[in-house]
Amino acid sequence: MILSKEALKLDLPLTATRLKRFIKDYVRNTKAKGIALALSGGIDSSTAVALSALAVGGDKVLALSMPEKETYNKLDIEHTRSLAEKFGFILETINITDILKAYYKSVPAFEPEDLVSKGNIKARARITCVYYYANHQNRIVVGSSDKSETMMGYFTKWGDVAADISPLMDLYKTQVRQLAAHIGVPKEIVEKPSTPQLWPGQLAEKELGIKYEVLDLILLGLENFMAPDEIASQLNLRLKHVEEVKTRWLASEHKRRAPLTMKMGYRTPAMDFRLPYKSP
Amino acid sequence: MGEKITIALGQMSCQVGNKKQNLRTIEKKVKQAKKIKAKLIAFPELSLTGYIVRDTAYELAEPVPNGPSIQEIEKIAKHEDIHIVFGMIERSAKASAVLHNSAILVGPKGYIGKYRKMYLPTHSVFEEKRYFRPGYQTPLFETDVGKIGMTICYDIYFPEITRLLSLKGATLIVCISASPSMRRGFFETLTTARAMENGVFVAYVNLAGIEDGLQFWGGSRIIAPSGSLITQAKYDTEDFIHATIDYSDINRVQAWVPTLRDLRPEIFTSLREEAENL
Repeated sequence: MILSKEALKLDLPLTATRLKRFIKDYVRNTKAKGIALALSGGIDSSTAVALSALAVGGDKVLALSMPEKETYNKLDIEHTRSLAEKFGFILETINITDILKAYYKSVPAFEPEDLVSKGNIKARARITCVYYYANHQNRIVVGSSDKSETMMGYFTKWGDVAADISPLMDLYKTQVRQLAAHIGVPKEIVEKPSTPQLWPGQLAEKELGIKYEVLDLILLGLENFMAPDEIASQLNLRLKHVEEVKTRWLASEHKRRAPLTMKMGYRTPAMDFRLPYKSP
Repeated sequence: MGEKITIALGQMSCQVGNKKQNLRTIEKKVKQAKKIKAKLIAFPELSLTGYIVRDTAYELAEPVPNGPSIQEIEKIAKHEDIHIVFGMIERSAKASAVLHNSAILVGPKGYIGKYRKMYLPTHSVFEEKRYFRPGYQTPLFETDVGKIGMTICYDIYFPEITRLLSLKGATLIVCISASPSMRRGFFETLTTARAMENGVFVAYVNLAGIEDGLQFWGGSRIIAPSGSLITQAKYDTEDFIHATIDYSDINRVQAWVPTLRDLRPEIFTSLREEAENL
């Protein structure tokens, strides 16, 4: 297999059609009244909300913009508004600053210097808001996690990744960018650097230590059972670099699965109950 | 071949995916076996890698007999002057994506042979057919420590394999296993049954420890041709057991309950016909 930009190229009309059908079918099958999702104004959530609106109609899609004081970004907020205008979905803003303050104050062990743990509170606070709307208004939650971040475990467990369906989870970040441009997500959103917005100045590529263009090709190689030395040689990278990505991928499997239990019974949840998502 | 030999079972808990560490555990138990003058030691199914390796099976697989891990175990067998049975993922020499769940027998003079698991469980928590091609041979190995036939775990539910090995002249069936706790009752019965119905010794060695929420129940055992339990390892945790077996018992038991003498070959024809039309 040749690891090149070409290998990540999507049949964009087909991809968009299939994902829209997937979203529409799921909403119909669950008899939900619509969709709720978190919208940061970044590439993934913008693509997820645009696809959702194209799939079921903007009037059935509720996007929650959930800024907070520390990571407030005016440009992102502007992007969510322009996107709402373009795709016609409902945009509601919840300032989560007070929720977070209450959390920080209430948790005896809270340490503001622990940026990761603190940042994870933000992701989890946001998803509780999304699920409130989903429960209250009979909506399904559409997640926006992409394949690069999912494979790397670069997300908050039970936080931003929580969803009923995640239409973009099998598309690498660079593929999401292709799809976003294809379905009409504005160029300034497609091209801006990704950030989980867990603390000020956080940038995904800086934190991961690698450009998505390279990371996606390494992950594509791993997905295709290629050995790290073969991937490194093709991409002209140091073997150590590829092995680090592989280690991170394998070590984060616990973040991608249902909680592990100990098998005690005849058939076990998340182990060998093998049922369809939807039964008659 | 003397009539009496001492055999040992290395019931181990594997570090999943860590062949280096598992090889160290194997070596340690081989040395323990050597100390008590055992001539053969067996380790569980997939003891080189651990059982629940899922998609990493492809990268953990090695060719047989030229893979580095077998060569490492050959060295140990030569150095300790002992026979070793262990389990590993075998990569086909002809098609690199074809894997087998194999039992390997090495002796003081090096590699002796392999058995590829014939019955691959793909139900409940098991997904072996997703990764492995079944084996098609039931080889018997005539060694200095007995006429050895090997089977792997779920194979024991199918008495035909042990029967076939017995008809070929097996005196010792080494069944290596990775059986989780919910199957303990089956295996405790079936290991005894395979020994009794064929009048052969059965050495059953199971994994121990927990992998991905599955408790492997250990309970490795050596069973006499009469069906009596000679020795048994602890449940659930690592253990090392050994016993001296006397092959002359086979003759005595087979004369007493002559199952092989009373075998009815015509039944096998009917069995085949019925099995083909289930």
